[in-house]
Amino acid sequence: MIVVDEYLAVRVVGGRWPEGLPDDEDLVLPAARHWRLLQRIHAPGDGQLSELLATLSTTDRDTIRFPHPEVLGVADPRPLLDEAARLAARYGGTGWLTGETLAAGLTYGRALWFGTQRNVGRLLASAADDLGITVHVVT
Amino acid sequence: MEEMAVVDVSEERRRRRRAGDPRLSAAGQEVLARITTGDLAEEFQAALDADVEADPILGGHHHDAA
Repeated sequence: MIVVDEYLAVRVVGGRWPEGLPDDEDLVLPAARHWRLLQRIHAPGDGQLSELLATLSTTDRDTIRFPHPEVLGVADPRPLLDEAARLAARYGGTGWLTGETLAAGLTYGRALWFGTQRNVGRLLASAADDLGITVHVVT
Repeated sequence: MEEMAVVDVSEERRRRRRAGDPRLSAAGQEVLARITTGDLAEEFQAALDADVEADPILGGHHHDAA
């Protein structure tokens, strides 16, 4: 399993495979990160992004809401939750997003893959380094 | 005796994975590309950051901006 962030998940769903992302294992998106994508669909704001997403057909929106299993999986949060809470506490109350992402990284190959450096975050980068999790950024 | 065709399952899975979601329309592909690598990438990141700031369960006690 390769753990990816929101950027890589959306790019892969869209058929634009990033250079450098391995293609020989299934991809998995942590549930908290899927939640953030779902917020763009179900709780849009008033910017251009929301206007554009509103133009998507129901079928197109479903590719984000219910990813095709041959393309992208969403990690079951239940087996990761205890470890996520432990890591969140260890690193100063990181919250579910970072805690679950770190737990997924520990569980699936000690690696995390992001589509932009800005989406990594300083705290996650520092904790990943401490835990021996390699953070890859492919753009 | 007939020869059976040999299908490389792993290669087929790789091909499907790289092709993206077959349900997505061409217009949808264009929208997703604009969000992740195009003109709306900044707005997309700002929206992701806003989720963390607005929800302490999701984002914790402090923000984790890069």
